[in-house]
Order: sequence, then structure tokens, then C-alpha cells
Amino acid sequence: MAEPSVAERSFDDEALPHLDTLYRVALRLTADPTMAEDLVQDTMLKAYRSWRQYRPGTNARGWLLTILRNTFINDYRRRKHEPVAMDLETVEPHALYRSIQDTDPEGTFFSQIVDAKVLEAIDSLPADFREVLALSDIEGMSYGEIAETLKIPVGTVKSRLFRARRQLQAELYSHAVEMGYIKPREAAR
Amino acid sequence: MSRLDCEEALAHLQDYLKSELTPDLVAEVRAHLERCRDCADYARFEESFLFMLENRGAKVTCPKEVRARILAALQAASKGS
Repeated sequence: MAEPSVAERSFDDEALPHLDTLYRVALRLTADPTMAEDLVQDTMLKAYRSWRQYRPGTNARGWLLTILRNTFINDYRRRKHEPVAMDLETVEPHALYRSIQDTDPEGTFFSQIVDAKVLEAIDSLPADFREVLALSDIEGMSYGEIAETLKIPVGTVKSRLFRARRQLQAELYSHAVEMGYIKPREAAR
Repeated sequence: MSRLDCEEALAHLQDYLKSELTPDLVAEVRAHLERCRDCADYARFEESFLFMLENRGAKVTCPKEVRARILAALQAASKGS
């Protein structure tokens, strides 16, 4: 049995620790656990085969996520029907807050919503929105790192992120109203 | 230091909450939140939303059997090359 090569060792040290991140992002991108498993496996195999192109000590997480995303776009995206963005242009940014500020100003209703429902609501966002939301608000990546990973300008990261958050808040709010966690304000207007 | 009005402070709020502002702007937004209760309440609401997201989302980890399957696939790839 041969000793593991230097390349194999560095792959184990630098790439494998990001498996959970890749899995979480894959879940949000595909919104489908089986597809997510395949996507992570394909990503890891591609990363392993092209490991020579990775410069040791640079941003392995970003490098892996770029592969994950390209694989998703090329091989997975067309397999599923994508949700569409809400027409948020007409929604005033603080409208949701205004409707709860008297009854639940601190947004405690968020904590009553079960995990599965939160994730389901994220998965109902369009793919471009789910992606930035997962990278920023779940994985804690900076705008700069996301821009680099997705090869889009920082301004685009920000605008997608804000719209994603607004749409998600709206989804969670209507769920909370449905479940009775929060009372809708009398139809003012 | 310039004094931000509500509109200006709220325009920076998301970046403020994600620690993406320069130290100068952080100080200006913070100063506004200290003197404006409405904006401070709204900031708390957004903060609890972001906290909830981070909390819920990052709990998920790659299941053991998926990890094992991927490691086996990598092993097979390394033998094949």
C-alpha cells in the first residue's frame, strides 16, 4: 500500500473540512436532498481531479463552492422547475415590519417557526436568491467572498440578498399568520 | 461626524448588521440608533431575523452515510488515477 501523496493529504486537510458547508449550500441550491447528495459527490470528485489547479493555502471554501455552483448550473438546474421571484418592486421595504411593529416589534414570531418550515421557505425562493442568502446569512461569508465565488459584482450580491431577505420575511410572516403565531394588523390602509 | 437621518441610517442598516461598513459609518449608524427609538426597534427586528437564519441554517450537517459514500467515491477515484 502506497503512502498517501502530498496532494491527497492536502486535499484531505483543505477540502474535506468544507463538506458540511458544501452539503448545506447544495441542499439550498437544489432544494432536494437526493439531488444535493449527488451534487456534493460530483463536486468533490471534480475538485479532487482538478486539485492541482488549487493554490494551497488560498480560499478552499470559495474554490469548492465555485465548482459546486458551476456543476449545479450545468448539470442540475435544468432538471427542476424553478420558483419565481415575487414582484418586490412594488413592496415597500419596511411594510412587513410596519404590520407587526405594534404586536411583535422584536420579531419573536421568527423563533416560533420550526426549522423545517424556515428551510422550506428558503427553498421557495428563486435559485439566485437562495444562493446568496445561504452563502451570506447561513454560511457567514462576506459580500466580497460571495462576489468572488459567484463571479458577480458586490452590488449584485447586495441587491439579491436584500430582495431574498424581504421575500423570505414575507413568506415567514404569512406562515406565522396562518399558524396563529401572530395576529395580522387590522387591514389598515 | 455627520448626523445620519432615518432614511440614511436605514439604507446602511443591512450592511451594518453584517459588519460590512467602514468604522466611520459604523459609528454614524450606531449613533443614529442610539438616538432614534423607531430605527433601533426596526434594527432589532432585522437582527432577530438574521440571527434566526444563521441559527437554523447552520445546524444542518452532512449525514454520516453521505459522507461515507463520498469518501468511498474519492477513494475509488484515487485508485483509478
